Amino acid sequence: MTDQNKTRIRVAILSVLLSLLAGAVVILILGKNPLTAYFNLLQGCGLLPKGKYGGGKSMITDLSSYIDFLTPMVFAALSYAVAMRAGLFNIGISGQMLTAGFIASITIGYSTLAAPIAKPLVLIIGIIAGMLVGSLIGFLKERFNINEVVSSIMINYIVRYVISFFIQTKYVDPVSRQSKNICDSARLTLHQIKLGGYKYDIPLGFVLAIIAVIAVKFMFDRTVLGYELHAVGSNKVAAKYAGIRTGRSLIVSMAISGALAGIAGVTYYLGYFASIQPKVLVSTGYDAIAVGLLGNNDPVGILVASFLIEIIQNGSAYMSSQSGLESEIASVITGLILLFSACNAFFLEKLAQKKAEESRKKGAKA
Amino acid sequence: MTEDYIIEMRNVTKRFPGIVANDDVTIKVRKGEIYALLGENGAGKSTLMSMLFGMYEPDEGEIWVRGKKEEIKSPSYATRLNIGMVHQHFKLVSNYTIAENIILGVEPKKKAFGLFPYVDIKTANEKIRSLSEKYGLEVDPEKVISDVNVSTRQRVEILKMLYREAEILIFDEPTAVLTPQEIDSLLQIIKNLRDGGKTIILITHKLEEIKQVADRCAILRRGKLIDVRDVEGMDTREMANLMVGRQVQMKVEKKPAVFGKEILNIKDLRVKNDDDFEVVKGVSFNIHAGEIFAIAGVSGNGQTDIADAIAGLLPVSSGKIIVDGTDVTDMSVRKRTEAGISYIPEDRHSVGLVLDFDLKDNLALRRYYKEPFAKKGVLDPKSFEDYGTKLIDKYDVRCARGNTTIVRSMSGGNQQKAIIGREIEQDAPLTIFVQPTRGLDIGAIENIHRQIVEERDKGKAVLLISLELDEIMALADTIGVIYNGQLGKIAPAAEFTTSEVGEYMMGVKHHD
Repeated sequence: MTDQNKTRIRVAILSVLLSLLAGAVVILILGKNPLTAYFNLLQGCGLLPKGKYGGGKSMITDLSSYIDFLTPMVFAALSYAVAMRAGLFNIGISGQMLTAGFIASITIGYSTLAAPIAKPLVLIIGIIAGMLVGSLIGFLKERFNINEVVSSIMINYIVRYVISFFIQTKYVDPVSRQSKNICDSARLTLHQIKLGGYKYDIPLGFVLAIIAVIAVKFMFDRTVLGYELHAVGSNKVAAKYAGIRTGRSLIVSMAISGALAGIAGVTYYLGYFASIQPKVLVSTGYDAIAVGLLGNNDPVGILVASFLIEIIQNGSAYMSSQSGLESEIASVITGLILLFSACNAFFLEKLAQKKAEESRKKGAKA
Repeated sequence: MTEDYIIEMRNVTKRFPGIVANDDVTIKVRKGEIYALLGENGAGKSTLMSMLFGMYEPDEGEIWVRGKKEEIKSPSYATRLNIGMVHQHFKLVSNYTIAENIILGVEPKKKAFGLFPYVDIKTANEKIRSLSEKYGLEVDPEKVISDVNVSTRQRVEILKMLYREAEILIFDEPTAVLTPQEIDSLLQIIKNLRDGGKTIILITHKLEEIKQVADRCAILRRGKLIDVRDVEGMDTREMANLMVGRQVQMKVEKKPAVFGKEILNIKDLRVKNDDDFEVVKGVSFNIHAGEIFAIAGVSGNGQTDIADAIAGLLPVSSGKIIVDGTDVTDMSVRKRTEAGISYIPEDRHSVGLVLDFDLKDNLALRRYYKEPFAKKGVLDPKSFEDYGTKLIDKYDVRCARGNTTIVRSMSGGNQQKAIIGREIEQDAPLTIFVQPTRGLDIGAIENIHRQIVEERDKGKAVLLISLELDEIMALADTIGVIYNGQLGKIAPAAEFTTSEVGEYMMGVKHHD
């Protein structure tokens, strides 16, 4: 591992610690014990045992539902990283997730196909839907020079309201006011599976997430495509000089980013959940930015960062029930992490200065 | 104190991470002299002057101004001490008039009806006119900056200092952007300023200029002060040797050219820039194997656009580009490269390199997609490393961490070595050099000139585009002079004198 990577990891850890510290101050102000609160977060994710469990539940039940919750985040953050590699800021991940989730729900989710056919089809349709939305953003950027941030925010609005129109007119469940639940055969999470007297949610998508991390890592480091995306993201003019078709690279990176967002969408709407809440964009697409930043846009870093951030998000419900803290405190801490990781350039600079100082002192002594 | 020094920098040391920019440097400048700071790039000239102008603070040492110890914490404090600096890159607001730029921050104010304050531009214009007459700095204060040329902008920067009543004027490489005729007039202005009682500090690595105007000259090498000499009685060769620290070859060794077959043929090339403005207006020329064809011209006359058009970075609006028998006019950049074009672009930071990539990735920038670097879209890291090591060694690229050095952290000279090495290794029949030695020191320039001649002697066609007339006169076999997007005269180098080329460059002389 190069020194540079070590420093980056140190900075990431530093920003997490700083945000936890700042979060602790907030919790103290609210008159609660921050240590207990953080302990509750880990308990809520099945990483530490709770005092007592309800019928058919165990630590493993909590852990499995935590991983179920985590899976879409890994894909969403990878989606962010792939676009970022080519210098694009994909802020439309939530919209791409929703599009993929909705199209997969109405085509396969409500069908009567058998599980071995339905599940792969859900995945494929999710990938295609996400990829199409992503490529559209890339195409608009390449052809008409429309800033990807603007177009993806606009597309977010469009899909959010168009899809909620269809849900409310055609697919609504009158009781829950959400879209009707999809059938279990199409669902990517094996829901409430009984094993040895306990119930578990088994997220099939998580295996895929690990594969995706490895695949994206390989793509970044070891392929011509990865080299080209990185060159375009670092210096577009130099990339053009090198003979890279920069416009094509932009579209390709957005297509891949969209495809990953699509998988995030199906693992969320047809995995963790089985229905879609109208007029709501999930926060996963935005939290993915925090994860990407914290993980320094490196696929492995992202995997670790998603574990961390999702502990806070997923454990907050239990924390809230135990300590009486609002569960929104989780978002506060996530926001703080985002803030501190965005300051990482500052930390890196400070560290470099300190190093130079030390080596000078050493030199002076010798 | 025995002598009347206006500036004394005593035992000044400044360190940056990993480098000592100035190491125990002491200089003493007399009032009313032209004091030159000579040194290669990275010798610490600019750093030293930045401390005098308050942009950095010294780690050790003292600065005395007019016999008083001062801590110069900011440029505005330096201005209060009547110190002014003309930077290498001008700091002007391009859509303001000359007068507005000059008075910015120190606007003369009046009150209309004794109530409403407004900027008294009339008085300012008057004052600027009288200043410009006094020192021979001809400008029209009411013109907008974006409409005036580089040498006028530089005069505006000088007037800015004078308007703020600067007594000590620092010039950072002022002639880098000027034509020979403009350089002469600038040097005259500098002399006028001295005769008007100003003290001048001139940062430069051009020996001729020092010889022409300076009274004394301090030579810096790698952050250390080597010597301070009276310029009179010292020749340029001696200066060069002191600056580089070894014997320098002042002339380029060149055998007579042996022309081979035609490699590049440009027919009636027309190119528009991004603003849809025609910058190349019907240019035709050809280059043979074993020929160095140089395009001389003042910056901004379309010469770099010709290079970009040949390399495929700018679209051609009409005309033909034929390389080694292949019509490449409508080809992609990649196909042209493969058809036989190597290109050393003018701007190494934004075009020639991906600064955040490491050295090995940059060295492979032209061939990363081919075997052995990539097989079926999968990269082979070993090939990158081997190739990088080979080029670093062959072209003497000096870098802290070898292959994994981030290129941004390398010096300009070594970045250029990397680009030139990479492009020469392409072994293409045509090599385009645009401003290959810009901002480099004499040692590096010598080396690059040798490489350009070697390319020619290997039977390559070389297109050299440079703003440095000396460089063109030293290297070219054939010279084409560009003015306003047109090649005025094309002739063998032997038929031109330096001043003749200068006249064509200014558009004074036209081809008949």
